[in-house]
Amino acid sequence: MIGEQQILALLKRVIDRSPAERTELVFMGGRSGLTRYTKSSIHQNVIEENTQVYVRVADGKRLGVVTINRMDEEELLRAAAQALDAAKHQPENPYFEDFPQPAQYQKTKTYFEATAEFTPAARAETMKRIFAQADRLGLEVAGAFTSEEGEIAVLNSNGLSAYQPLTHAQITIVPVSEHGMSRSSAFSHDVTKIDFEAVAANGLERCALNKDQQEIPLGQMDVILEPSCLAEVMMWLGFIAFGSNSFIEGRSFMAGRLGEQSMGENVTIYDSILEPEAQGLPFDFQGFPKQKVALIERGINRGVVFDMLSANQAKTRPTGHGLPPGMPHGAIPWNVCLAPGDSSLEEMISSCRRGLLVTNFHYVNGFLDPKKALMTGMTRYGTFFVEDGKIKHAVKNLRWTESMLRAFSNVKAISREREVISDEGGSFALMPAVYVKDFTFTGVQKEESD
Amino acid sequence: MEIKEWLKAALKDLSRSGVDYADGRYLDRETEHITVRNEQVAGLSRKSDCGFGIRVLYKGSWGFAASARLTEADVMETGRRALDVARASYLTQREPVKLDDTEPQRGTYKTGFEVDPLAVPLDRKLDLLFSALKILRQDKRIAVAEGEMSFYRTDKLFLSTEGAEIAQNILESGAGIEATAIGDGDVQRRSYPSTMGGDVATYGYEFVESLRLVENAERMREEALALLTAEPCPAGRSDLIIDSSQLVLQVHESCGHPTELDRALGTEISYAGGSFLTPDKLGKLRYGSKAVNIYGDATIPGSIGSFGYDDEGVPAQRFPIIQEGMFVGYLTSRETAPVLGRTSSGAMRAESWHHIPLIRMINVNLEPGEEDLTLDELIADTRNGILVATNKSWSIDDLRLNFQFGCEIAWEIKGGKKVRMLKNPVYTGITPQFWNSCDAVCGKSDWRVWGLPNCGKGEPPQTMHVAHGVAPARFRNIEVGVKK
Repeated sequence: MIGEQQILALLKRVIDRSPAERTELVFMGGRSGLTRYTKSSIHQNVIEENTQVYVRVADGKRLGVVTINRMDEEELLRAAAQALDAAKHQPENPYFEDFPQPAQYQKTKTYFEATAEFTPAARAETMKRIFAQADRLGLEVAGAFTSEEGEIAVLNSNGLSAYQPLTHAQITIVPVSEHGMSRSSAFSHDVTKIDFEAVAANGLERCALNKDQQEIPLGQMDVILEPSCLAEVMMWLGFIAFGSNSFIEGRSFMAGRLGEQSMGENVTIYDSILEPEAQGLPFDFQGFPKQKVALIERGINRGVVFDMLSANQAKTRPTGHGLPPGMPHGAIPWNVCLAPGDSSLEEMISSCRRGLLVTNFHYVNGFLDPKKALMTGMTRYGTFFVEDGKIKHAVKNLRWTESMLRAFSNVKAISREREVISDEGGSFALMPAVYVKDFTFTGVQKEESD
Repeated sequence: MEIKEWLKAALKDLSRSGVDYADGRYLDRETEHITVRNEQVAGLSRKSDCGFGIRVLYKGSWGFAASARLTEADVMETGRRALDVARASYLTQREPVKLDDTEPQRGTYKTGFEVDPLAVPLDRKLDLLFSALKILRQDKRIAVAEGEMSFYRTDKLFLSTEGAEIAQNILESGAGIEATAIGDGDVQRRSYPSTMGGDVATYGYEFVESLRLVENAERMREEALALLTAEPCPAGRSDLIIDSSQLVLQVHESCGHPTELDRALGTEISYAGGSFLTPDKLGKLRYGSKAVNIYGDATIPGSIGSFGYDDEGVPAQRFPIIQEGMFVGYLTSRETAPVLGRTSSGAMRAESWHHIPLIRMINVNLEPGEEDLTLDELIADTRNGILVATNKSWSIDDLRLNFQFGCEIAWEIKGGKKVRMLKNPVYTGITPQFWNSCDAVCGKSDWRVWGLPNCGKGEPPQTMHVAHGVAPARFRNIEVGVKK
């Protein structure tokens, strides 16, 4: 960690000396450690330190970006000069007016020293205990354990100055038996909040159930989707529907249809950094404060997220969801939350006359027909047949192909409890378990075809 | 070069500390990405990325540390941190890692080019892209016209405690355009020469000009518009001709990934997945028909799957993976190849200095058919079927068996002729059955190498530049559409 004062002081000097009329600097840096294991042994173990500074300058309405990974004042000034040269050779961007003005941000707690100080040896010792836990059950464990610390800063020549330190601890446990696998995971900014033994026990218990997988007829069936399934679907919805560009360009089911009902009345989806279960980065990579944005409210298309340029194009205001400078994707939601319901996973299972409990999705793709949010993917790490309120047996992994508009219009129940499913850099999804009626299964994982 | 001496000193220090093996990699990369959308520059960034990573094998356990701080003290300290990480790994060791006996190499490798793309004025690049987009946008129903260019200059240095010393300089250039048409609640896209940034090769700016983006823009526009009113591709079983613009991803997902030996041995099982091609099937499984020959080949000039040496210093090689349909080879590393009693096939690659090398695809190629059959001749030889082109969606299970691909465009074939355009084609299958249904692969005249610059694998995620040489091929009795 370089530290707030040193980062802000150096970047301020670069802005003051920049050859450009207007300059914006985005700093990202830190140290990360990642331990991967398979067959209850660590096979990959890495630490890295890096910094990255995005230097964006404006020449009138022309923008230029140069990125370097060196925190050196003279090199940053050279980058600013190169960015200015690039800007001068571009056409004007009619949607650029100015970099944002200084702003106040919500206070979020995203840095914990215990995580920052967690060493490779501490990760290895933690894993040694989990491997022993699995050994006692005759299982092997695969997965990954990350602990990292980082800093993000945004400054511009209007005097905007934002800084946030972050830590991130995440563990994935994939117990493996000769019959099948399962998966459990946990994320927290604070590594001391993770109950490693409980996470492992959860995965190990599930693994014992995932055996003798049977083949079931394809077609429509009720499903109980656990939170990680929803997180993967939401990532795709963020990309194809809840972001700015697909909305402005008319490519999504949200485009031109705000205020219309596209999902069931029991479905509310929003983007928020301040949830009881998790907190996120309070500003975006342009320095705009992150706002809570209603995306789907009681099934009605309510809004999408915007950054500086897309907001001007859509004649609205930025919501604080800008990506690092130079990226062409517009704004993307970072902290998608599905509102909780009043059920529980156990109640959903006990209420299910005939259906499937799906613990994880794999390799989802949402490009089939974005206007219908038609997606395909596989189930993974345990899919279970439920009958008359009880888990009967495991089934082979299945391919599903389904419109998410149809699926979210068929939601029978949503759990009260939600799980934080994390990505890197302050991004997370906060998802409950969901009971969906008549989900469409179209294929099965096997070596021989019909 | 100071960094070389510092890395040598760090490796010497690690040798004195009793490590089994250590290597150091330094990488300096300049990139430029340009995205233009409609009348705007949607994204333009130049990036400079430079640093080093040190990998240590201590008592049979791996450790790796990387830093961007380029001082002698930081290089030495990073080496010691890598050793600390390896010592931590050793705490859980069950089987020590042993490397194969590949001879340490000393050499250089450099890709050729005529025009340095990073020296080409920005105006010239934007002129080319905007000229193509102007043609795409000549109809108002084209809601999004997009063009991209990407350029990469990478200088790499590799040193090991065994005495390897390798310098490589690789230049890559790529470009593509796409048109998105919107009408009557439908969205249709056509991309040229391929999706996701087009095609990329280890040439200079001359490669971008050779793609003839402007000359192909009108066809993309008209096809995107025609798709709006085309009939949906019917569901059912059909003979399928897959154009090379789609077959490249089929080979990538169902031939390339499952033949990565680390996947087959379970080291990616908690993330990217495993493989149905387990070592017990080597030399025994009929993966495909006799028409199917797949080679790994890192020696093809101009391809982004080529290099002089991989990222653990093993020379580039050409080797069989599938021979006349039989599964005979894997992509391997110095750690995994001995499991098969072999030496590394030279497929260990790291995205950058701060990533460890993993087994990655190189050029994994479907070899052309022996007879020089053309796509037109293959269509003429097909009584009833569907021709699909250009990938739109992709999904495959964690063992690489059940796949589903969507394509941008299809044509119905009747009586050996393309009779009508179809939209939203999707096909699905099980990998070995699918490749066993292949009864014809076009010949050399229709065979080309496609660069794929976005292959993802590993944790933290690494994006690798890989490539596949393919020619159009025909598959009999394939499930088309989505089974309800």
